[in-house]
Amino acid sequence: MAEQPADLTEQDKRRFQENALPLLDSLYGAALRMTRNPADAEDLVQETMLRAYRAFRSFEPGTNLKAWLFRILTNAYINTYRKRQREPRKVSSDEVEEFDLYQALKDHDPQWDETPENIVLDALVDSDIIEAIDELPEQFRMAVILSDIEGFSYAEMADIMGVPMGTVMSRLHRGRKALQERLWDKARERGIVKGPREGSVRR
Amino acid sequence: MSEDHPSLGHDCKEVLERAQVFLDGELLEESERLEIQEHLERCGPCYKRYGLEREVKVLIARLRGAQPCPRELRSRIQELIDRS
Ligand SMILES: [Zn+2]
Repeated sequence: MAEQPADLTEQDKRRFQENALPLLDSLYGAALRMTRNPADAEDLVQETMLRAYRAFRSFEPGTNLKAWLFRILTNAYINTYRKRQREPRKVSSDEVEEFDLYQALKDHDPQWDETPENIVLDALVDSDIIEAIDELPEQFRMAVILSDIEGFSYAEMADIMGVPMGTVMSRLHRGRKALQERLWDKARERGIVKGPREGSVRR
Repeated sequence: MSEDHPSLGHDCKEVLERAQVFLDGELLEESERLEIQEHLERCGPCYKRYGLEREVKVLIARLRGAQPCPRELRSRIQELIDRS
């Protein structure tokens, strides 16, 4: 399956092992949030690493290996796994008004900001955050994963997703608003807040 | 503190979008950074919305490394590369 590509030397192989394998945790975490299921995430990561290994000669030493691997991961996901998956309801991006967490908190409790803790956000657990991310439309989900979880810059994200920086920024902005709306819904589902009806807090 | 501060030539919405860029650690022109900072200092709602953006960003970052690569997958990949 993974025959050593003819042009890879033993030194390349060592370099790959030393530098790429430590990034497996990041790749797997992102793959899991992209595919939203462990079996697909494992296949996706394995495929990514084998593709990357075969193409390792085309990686320019000294440049950003993590971004290079994430580009392969993203392409593999889009080409192979995405088609299999059901997508959450599409957000028609232009007309959707933005959720306003500030307004939601204020309506819930006019004094919400008088203590240093955030009674709503602090009560959310990891599984709430994961569910909220998993419910995002794919392009928003990717932007949030790459920026807020993996910490990539806009330029790196543009490269990884193959879109202009302006598109990165707008997906990120809208993705975060959509995410905040879902986090608010989680808080309501769990009884942390008795918020208004879904979707009614917008600005 | 006013709801809006149009005298800076930005509306709040635009300031908040640019503030997000700042929050993401992206470089901004010094003049733009100062404009944002000044707006946030004067506009209470923007300041609080900016704080919320930061809090949510920190919240999401909690997932970093939360679900590491399963050991079997790691050894499988290692083996495939070793054997090649
Ligand atoms: Zn403002």
